[in-house]
Amino acid sequence: MKSAVSIRNLTKDFAVGMRGLKLRAVDDVSIEMPAGQVFGLLGPNGCGKSTTLKIALGLVQPTSGTTSILGDGAASPEARRRTGFLPEAPYFHRFLTGRELVRYCARLSGVGEDGLDDAVGRALELTAMSSAADRPVGTYSKGMLQRIGLAQAVVHGPELVILDEPTAGVDPVGAAAIGGMIAEMRSQGRTVVLCSHLLGQVEQVCDRIAIMDRGMVVLQGAVDEVLAGRDRHLIEVSSLTREAESAAREALARAGAVVEGVSRPRRTLEELFRELVTGSKDA
Amino acid sequence: MSAWATWTASAALLIAAGSASDRSWAAVRPCIPELGARQLELSAGQGVLLGVLGGLRTLVADVSWLRSYVLWERKEEAGCEALMRLACTLDPHARYFWEQTGFAVGLDMANWEIRRRGGYARVSKEVQDHVFAAYARKGIAVLEEGARTSRNRAPFLIVAGQLAEMKVRDQRMAATYYRAAAESEDAPWYAARFAARTAWEAGDRAQAYAWYRDHWSSVLRVRHEDRAPDDLAELRMMEDALGVPAMRRIPRQPWER
Amino acid sequence: MTMDALRRTHWIARITFLEAVRQRLFSFLLLLGAALAVSSVAFRFLNFGHGELKFVADFGFGILFLFGSLLAVVMTAQLLYAELDNRTALTLLAKPVSRSEFLLGKFLGVWAVLGVFIVLLCSILAGVLLTRAAEIAPVAEAAGRVPPSVNAAGLAIFALLQWMRLGIIAALTLFLAAGARTFLFSVVAGMLAVLGGQLQWLAQDLLTKPDVGFFQRSLAWFATRAVPNLQQFNIGDALVLESAGAPAGAAASALLAGSLHLLAFLFLACALFRRREI
Repeated sequence: MKSAVSIRNLTKDFAVGMRGLKLRAVDDVSIEMPAGQVFGLLGPNGCGKSTTLKIALGLVQPTSGTTSILGDGAASPEARRRTGFLPEAPYFHRFLTGRELVRYCARLSGVGEDGLDDAVGRALELTAMSSAADRPVGTYSKGMLQRIGLAQAVVHGPELVILDEPTAGVDPVGAAAIGGMIAEMRSQGRTVVLCSHLLGQVEQVCDRIAIMDRGMVVLQGAVDEVLAGRDRHLIEVSSLTREAESAAREALARAGAVVEGVSRPRRTLEELFRELVTGSKDA
Repeated sequence: MSAWATWTASAALLIAAGSASDRSWAAVRPCIPELGARQLELSAGQGVLLGVLGGLRTLVADVSWLRSYVLWERKEEAGCEALMRLACTLDPHARYFWEQTGFAVGLDMANWEIRRRGGYARVSKEVQDHVFAAYARKGIAVLEEGARTSRNRAPFLIVAGQLAEMKVRDQRMAATYYRAAAESEDAPWYAARFAARTAWEAGDRAQAYAWYRDHWSSVLRVRHEDRAPDDLAELRMMEDALGVPAMRRIPRQPWER
Repeated sequence: MTMDALRRTHWIARITFLEAVRQRLFSFLLLLGAALAVSSVAFRFLNFGHGELKFVADFGFGILFLFGSLLAVVMTAQLLYAELDNRTALTLLAKPVSRSEFLLGKFLGVWAVLGVFIVLLCSILAGVLLTRAAEIAPVAEAAGRVPPSVNAAGLAIFALLQWMRLGIIAALTLFLAAGARTFLFSVVAGMLAVLGGQLQWLAQDLLTKPDVGFFQRSLAWFATRAVPNLQQFNIGDALVLESAGAPAGAAASALLAGSLHLLAFLFLACALFRRREI
């Protein structure tokens, strides 16, 4: 399988204070992120996932180890021309309109004058920002900022899109919309690297994940494989009477299955919220 | 460009910039008379102030001058002189600052010194003369400096001559200043007469007549429309006093009475 | 530098320029400077014989230098740190934009704003000087004095020199900010560098004296290479008010030396910024 991002034995130490004490942020990390998939990089705050991505993008120098993007060295202009990046909590020039910002980023990413308007229009459409594109960025909500950030990351049609906490500070409806955009990008054949600590969202959109803790990778693999490892199954039924439950238990026991317990599954708050407020203006 | 190449290029550019700056400074420096080395020897603070003020020097000079008035009223010699000299340093083209500083140092401060020693009634005439001469010499030094930096030299030289004549009581020294004033482009009409008279009174009669006659012939007679008849009259008196033979006197002018 | 790199630098400079002209500090200093330049005519009562035009010109030059230097230092440091602190630099540098292009774009944007500042203030100053010169001329002629003159072409050369001086200050501040950790440090160090540049001529004078020891001479040599001589751009009097003007080639040689120092500081800024972790 062709790798979009390849990280090998990556270590990063930060000097702390005047005495030159070292803080190890990334510790011998090796990850292969296959092309054409959505890859989730998970972990608690400060586990080293943002630093790993910054090194992959050539924004921070590694202490040791190597990284490559789409077969090129991380810091090479060619690699970055084929990559789109949305940093965590993005902040853009407030006086520019959304369209001006996306145009500016498109020019910096090498989009020529000929295809510029089309590329900007497509990126704004993908991120559902067309209607607000001519407003100054300073008037945008957090969700809109994330979406315009996403638009600037994809405007030049990159093969690889790296999203660092794209749903941080965004309400569940907005987060679901961003999830939809990620799925859309995957369907277009792009590789998406999603860095997040929102496990529910990652589970929904990612094909593969790596979990980091204290600078190290503690688990990595395909989402289905990683989660399917435990021998537990859920059968969801409605209109369950006492009689029906007893019959079901007996039938399952006859077939050799062991019923560990029966409970009423709760809806998640996120599901309830999205059910109630779907179609909000910020979506 | 590699990191080493960037550092090397930077170092080479800095060296080239420094060398170019040496040459450009030599060309530019004469345009900035405020940065005279003499003033900086007086006080490092003045040098720093000069350097820091990219412009606004005139304004700071004026403020400094106004402040010196306060100290002049209080007769604080050191502070007053420092502020006056600062004004001169910051705006060396201003004749007013130099002239007034020369007068203040040469006359007023001598007066303050005599008062500090007990007043005119208690200080002997010899000591008074000594104090006046010492301060007048300081005042003359200020005026000489002003004459070097200012476009109009003559007024400074005239005042220096007056101080030398009246306070240093050195007629020969006074004559030197008046003569320099008379020979400068902006000489007032009376400078040559002052120069000749003081040199005459100093005892250098023959030299005084020779210079005055030459100056009248080559400068005064040409420069003034009326051909300076008062100077010619003065020269005739000198010829009489020196007993110059008729053949060697200035030929009689057709317009002369 | 390729055409693509030039285009990217141009776009960064353009956005930096737009951001800079929207800053309150720029409008505030521009308005205050313009008001002071115009009102300098009203300070004639402070005139102790140096001539009204000399006072007005000197006042204008002072404002240009003082406010311009403040603007060059604060704006350069602020615009760089705004990009770093707000993480817009992350977005830009993750694109095929090199760090040198990023820094050069920032510098050119700031330099363009400083150019606007200088052109506007010098235009106002020229207006005030030419108006007053026209008003004073008949009075001076009637009194038998030579009427004062203002050299408009000299003022244009002076404006060019000031643009170079502020460009050097901006490049120097960019170099300091590229290595510094905080905005405040960059501003304080930048201001001290301006002070050093204003006093550099003392070291340059020392080099011309024959009776200077080896140690002092070496120190002066290093000082004159590391610190630009900002005093050499201060020839406004000669260019604008003196009928003889400045010596031929003086302004050109100052511009040449200045441009070399400016380039050197830009190279140094790039070298420092190359290893900086964003």
